[in-house]
Amino acid sequence: MTAIPLGEIEIGSVPFVAQVMRARRREKLRRMGFSIGFPLLLLAMWQAAASAGMIDVRFFPSPMRILKTSIETLQAPDERALIEAHLMATLSRLVLGYLLGAVLGIIVGVTMAVYMPFRASLAPIIYATFPTPKLAIFPLLIVIFGLGDASKAALVTLGVFYMTCINSLAGVQYANPIYQDVAQAFRVPASTRWFKIIIPSALPSIVTGLKLGIGQALILVVSAEFVSSNDGLGYFIWNSWQTLDISRMFMGLVIVSVVGGIAVVGGNALERYLIPWAKH
Amino acid sequence: MMAATSLQDERPARRTEADLALSVRGLRKLFVTARSQIVEALSDISFEVRQGEVVALLGPSGCGKSTLLRILAGLDTYDGGMIDWSLGEELNNAKRLRAATVFQQDSTLPWMNIANNLKVGMSGLRLSRAEQDERIRKYISIVGLSQFVEGFPHELSGGMRQRVSIARALATEPVLLLMDEPLSALDAQTRVVMQQELLRMWQRTASTVVYVTHDIAEALTLADRVIVMTCRPGRIKEICDVPFGRNRDVLDVRRRADFGALEVDLWKMIAEEVGDRLQ
Repeated sequence: MTAIPLGEIEIGSVPFVAQVMRARRREKLRRMGFSIGFPLLLLAMWQAAASAGMIDVRFFPSPMRILKTSIETLQAPDERALIEAHLMATLSRLVLGYLLGAVLGIIVGVTMAVYMPFRASLAPIIYATFPTPKLAIFPLLIVIFGLGDASKAALVTLGVFYMTCINSLAGVQYANPIYQDVAQAFRVPASTRWFKIIIPSALPSIVTGLKLGIGQALILVVSAEFVSSNDGLGYFIWNSWQTLDISRMFMGLVIVSVVGGIAVVGGNALERYLIPWAKH
Repeated sequence: MMAATSLQDERPARRTEADLALSVRGLRKLFVTARSQIVEALSDISFEVRQGEVVALLGPSGCGKSTLLRILAGLDTYDGGMIDWSLGEELNNAKRLRAATVFQQDSTLPWMNIANNLKVGMSGLRLSRAEQDERIRKYISIVGLSQFVEGFPHELSGGMRQRVSIARALATEPVLLLMDEPLSALDAQTRVVMQQELLRMWQRTASTVVYVTHDIAEALTLADRVIVMTCRPGRIKEICDVPFGRNRDVLDVRRRADFGALEVDLWKMIAEEVGDRLQ
């Protein structure tokens, strides 16, 4: 970096501004370099270990091998259609279960926070059942909802419900009390109080619940498909493992990761859209 | 006790019953501690606020002045005595609030723009959309934020956000404007600028104000009367008239000889209070 002597800098000096901007850009590129470079380094080490015969390629095929299998699979029309069908099966369970769980969780959580009898009645049940691994309830859900999509969507709903409910409850309870004071001091009518004050004040926490719910939902839908399904990405991964088609198994893992990644990016975008005043 | 006759009062003296905006008689507030002890937070509080008058509640922290303001704002209950809003009720139609509050901390709603912040304040009143828009335009302009109407609170400085809170309260055209140390979170320079601004705004809107502060100079700069409160229990120790008139200038007022004299008097009263608490 070439330093400009301080005496020579004029306010509005273009070279100085350009230099500062360049330094900032370089800093950002450096950060991105590490974020992208390190995962690539890990893949390269994996590739090298596979090529050198240090790991058993029957169980850990090289990254290039997985990429090749993926491309071949996706280029074959019937294979491609099959994977799309698995993806759609998972997505439909995921989206249905997630939306239901999120809506129920927010409604129940906010109502609990505002209405004492509701909170006093439900809080012990919700906090007592919260630590139960949701997958442990899956057999019960199958008994209730059958072997089809409904029990899997219900499992997702359950997981997302707890996340959004508890976070919505906390969001209203621990929102800055000044907002409630404003509502009361200005004699704000009930509907305005709810929709313009109470719910927005809890929004940062509600969105946190929604984002945590994404991870829960993905874990639960794939686990449910491992255990009892004939389609979906979970089934695809489990089935590939059982037939020892390890490259396909890894391909399934990559697809699940991509779905999760897109959902997380979407969650962050939703956060920026819904709570622009919070610092991200 | 200061002489009740003011030296330079530009307003006609208003001493008739009909001009009372608010009358508080023997107000009492109790708290029960975790150890089941009763603490008297406010004891036998009696005072009147005349229409168009600015009354400062002055006292050290913890003497119950904020509690008193919260009671007047309808945010807290009381355990004895009475608050007579009769004139307030008379003026209080569906287009005015009986009382509107400006809080000490930032109370703007960060999820909505400035115009909607004012609209929420007015949501309890029966105003047409046009009337609401007209009030938003008028009061945002009074606080000097016209170009920020569409902006969000997080885009404004602390002082500007407090102006939004003031505009929100003024827009309800309250019979009584309640202010709880509204400038105490601001830096010293901004505070003096805002004091002048408050004087100007009250003048323009002919506001009746109850103003809580622990700052003696601020109370003298802004108020027509200063109510000095004592601690534990919170009682009224003295009510002092401030003879500077309503049409005053923040800096000029400080140059007056009687400003200094009053300040010293008030200092002594408060010092006694703080001394009592130390014993």
